[in-house]
Amino acid sequence: MVERFETPPPVQLGILNQMLDLCRANSLWPMTFGLACCAIEMMAAGASRFDLDRFGAGVFRPSPRQSDVMIVAGTISKKMAPIIVTLYDQMPAPKWVVAMGNCAISGGPFAYEGQYAIVNGADRFLPVDVYVPGCPPRPEALIQGLLELEDQLTGGAKRNYLRRFKRHPGNDQE
Amino acid sequence: MPPHLLTDYLFVLVFLLVGFVFATIPVLLAVLITPRGTGLKKLISYESGMIPIGQAWIQFGVSYYLFALVFLAFDVDVLYLFPALVAYGSFPWRDLIGIFLFVGILSLAIVYAWCKGVFEW
Repeated sequence: MVERFETPPPVQLGILNQMLDLCRANSLWPMTFGLACCAIEMMAAGASRFDLDRFGAGVFRPSPRQSDVMIVAGTISKKMAPIIVTLYDQMPAPKWVVAMGNCAISGGPFAYEGQYAIVNGADRFLPVDVYVPGCPPRPEALIQGLLELEDQLTGGAKRNYLRRFKRHPGNDQE
Repeated sequence: MPPHLLTDYLFVLVFLLVGFVFATIPVLLAVLITPRGTGLKKLISYESGMIPIGQAWIQFGVSYYLFALVFLAFDVDVLYLFPALVAYGSFPWRDLIGIFLFVGILSLAIVYAWCKGVFEW
């Protein structure tokens, strides 16, 4: 597990934190950057057909200073890894990381003996919160991953009051 | 100073104070209730993740500066033509000659820049 490099806020009140987390969960701002073919699916998820904006997460920011979700969409080459770390450092806290696709989860098809160019997974150097499997994942899968992140923030689907519809049919017990 | 003027100034003071508080409170709130990232490379300038090369304090070509100044000369020309057009009216020929004199004097700035060789780079 990679360290998160965050200091907690000076003022922490339970109900206030819950409210803030609810606000954060419903307006996740991902950072605009793609590493490989998963980025194409990420673009599709943000565009009109799949429309990430329905879940408040479609505001892709062109600068890390304004964004709070990093979607690592694609293969992480060893040359790219320090750049991704820089971008992660430049995002203001609180921030979360979504590892999208098999390459970002574990190296995917590049995890083999004698492989010299690819970092086998974003969680080798970033604190990943949600893993979205697929090669590449469908846009629906990315949306599901972001909803999962929202659930992590708010403490479960039942706590996320702003979602008026049922998200997990047949799985309402959680 | 009459007292009602003093109360007018008091309004300005209250406005300034309220403006200051209005601007400060969100900043203070943000400091108090948000966690802070402490990544090593947080404060370096954003260059798409690359480490910046050199400083922002570099020399620019001086011709850009001259270009801006010449633009200012033309700009002031156009700016002063608006009041001249508003005043234009009862004596057409006299006003026309006046405008030509006025624009001619303003154009001297451009002629001066021309003579100095600003337009050649």
